[in-house]
Amino acid sequence: MGDKKLFKRTLIGAALALGFAATNPASAYDWLMIQGTEPAAASVPAHVFGFVQAGFMKDYSSANPNAGPAAAPSLPNSYVPPKMLGPNLNAQSGFNVSHAQVGVRGTGFPLDDHINYFVLMEAGNTGLNNTSTGKSGPVLTDASVTLNYIKGARVRVGLFKTPGSDEAMQSTIATTYMDFSEVTNQLLLERYPNAVYTNNILPQTQAQLQASGLPLNGFTKPVGGFRDSGIQVFNSFDMGKDWSLTYAAMVGQGSGIELGNLDGKYDTYLYLATEKNLASTGPEDGLKFYVWSQSGKRLADITNDGVANPQLYKRDRSGLGVHYLAKPYRVSFEYITADGMIFEGPDKPSYYFAVPANAANVVNNGVTQKGNGWYLDGGWYIPGTKWELDARYDTVALNTGGVDEHKFTKTTLGVQYNFNPKAHVTLNYELRDFKCTASTTFCTNANKNLTGVGNKVGMQVTTAF
Amino acid sequence: MPNLFRSIIFVMTSLFMMSVATPALSADETTFADYKYVLQISDMDPSKQVLVLNNAANLLEAYPPGAVKVEIVAYGPGLRLLFAENVNAQRVDSLSQSGVRFSACNNTLQGMTKQLGYKPKLNPDAVVVPGGVVRIGDLERKGYAYIRP
Repeated sequence: MGDKKLFKRTLIGAALALGFAATNPASAYDWLMIQGTEPAAASVPAHVFGFVQAGFMKDYSSANPNAGPAAAPSLPNSYVPPKMLGPNLNAQSGFNVSHAQVGVRGTGFPLDDHINYFVLMEAGNTGLNNTSTGKSGPVLTDASVTLNYIKGARVRVGLFKTPGSDEAMQSTIATTYMDFSEVTNQLLLERYPNAVYTNNILPQTQAQLQASGLPLNGFTKPVGGFRDSGIQVFNSFDMGKDWSLTYAAMVGQGSGIELGNLDGKYDTYLYLATEKNLASTGPEDGLKFYVWSQSGKRLADITNDGVANPQLYKRDRSGLGVHYLAKPYRVSFEYITADGMIFEGPDKPSYYFAVPANAANVVNNGVTQKGNGWYLDGGWYIPGTKWELDARYDTVALNTGGVDEHKFTKTTLGVQYNFNPKAHVTLNYELRDFKCTASTTFCTNANKNLTGVGNKVGMQVTTAF
Repeated sequence: MPNLFRSIIFVMTSLFMMSVATPALSADETTFADYKYVLQISDMDPSKQVLVLNNAANLLEAYPPGAVKVEIVAYGPGLRLLFAENVNAQRVDSLSQSGVRFSACNNTLQGMTKQLGYKPKLNPDAVVVPGGVVRIGDLERKGYAYIRP
């Protein structure tokens, strides 16, 4: 085996020991292994690590042009969530600390590598600690123990990122863009139905949002954060000829970062990836192919009858993707499908699945709808400099085949300056096109809200320690 | 005759003193290298494992083949570098095949055995020496340059 491959593995081992901050972002990392294990015989009892990500963003969307439909009137100059900055959804520009994470990881007893642990808290202003009832304090996002006793089958128990989309699994320091792709945001970043039917929140003016404090976010639970609590069996194998194979199978409660089983059911997660080490071109370079699936059920009360009568609905997600990094170039592509529990919020703030079940054409109800989308991302690390240029095109179709199918497309252009492997500054410009496309009749109201969704610009600094 | 007897005793005594005072290098330890380095790894910090391996690799590259002899002595928490499952094991093997010798301190190994309740499995490239610091001292007396990354 060449020394370059050995060096890459050693470098990754060092990166793990240093909280995976020793290399440049957006590389072909095996996130499962990085976030669940410690390097064998090369770890410490406790390694404190963290991330800070802060920046400014401005949304150029224009307000809804009129007062809305007669059946659901709203004030002129009102806004829906895509036109406001998350997670607070009450302003179109401002500074935010999108991540302030502190964690600790290690082996506890370093002579025995069989037991690893990983704990992470989030104190930034995110969807993880913002709900319809306001902002909570720091939240626990990860707390797990990995048992490495069975050859070929590590066992991880606790709260952690589920095996799945690369964009969802990557760590904060690896993020190249300020916002998720729309396919990840709409289909994977789960919003949980409230326990009982919840009326829609109409578009609000900025004055209403800021003065009255009425939130555009109608959900009482935080977003899922691509996480779940459960048990996972996983491992990575050296297949020879510079190829590795990674698998994961997980059973979780389907409740995101909320500990506790919300519906008495369990979700299953499957993941398979293979990667070709391209260390000949760079220590973190590689070509990775992956496929994943998630299957579960959710309780939702979609009948406005004053009675708490939630029912179970399927929530399946799957995807496949490829990630290539051989500096100075990076290309990644992922295709994602969704069946059930389609988030309707983009033009209806809390219209998650809230429509009378006997609606004639099941408009605005995503519990049995489907969706799909993909993103294509490219990056060029300008040789001899610390600069990189990035571009991503993403598109998602919601309620596919339905009478109110939506299509959101977004192109993100980015420039990033890497001060060092642990810090970078990112400038993004997003060009957005959000519309309801299926039918003039059933898209009328949706497009009254979505018309005017404009572009966004932002700059943020990210650092790891 | 008495003189011969005294000479034999003198020679035997001298040989005995030499063997006790200076541990003899085994045949495979004998080196004709012009440059000799002993590197110590005794830290808990895992970055030191990478550093000491890098140092060894750099020394091999800096000299013509056969001109340098490098030995890494691992003791204390640094002995983990020579655990069989260490993440750097393949690199240790590669350097060993390039001529780097890896010495594992038996005193540390015994101590770890007591803590773990079992003897840790070492990298097959590791050579167990009675004591890591003693080994370093011996090598220094033999002209090895001492380096602690």
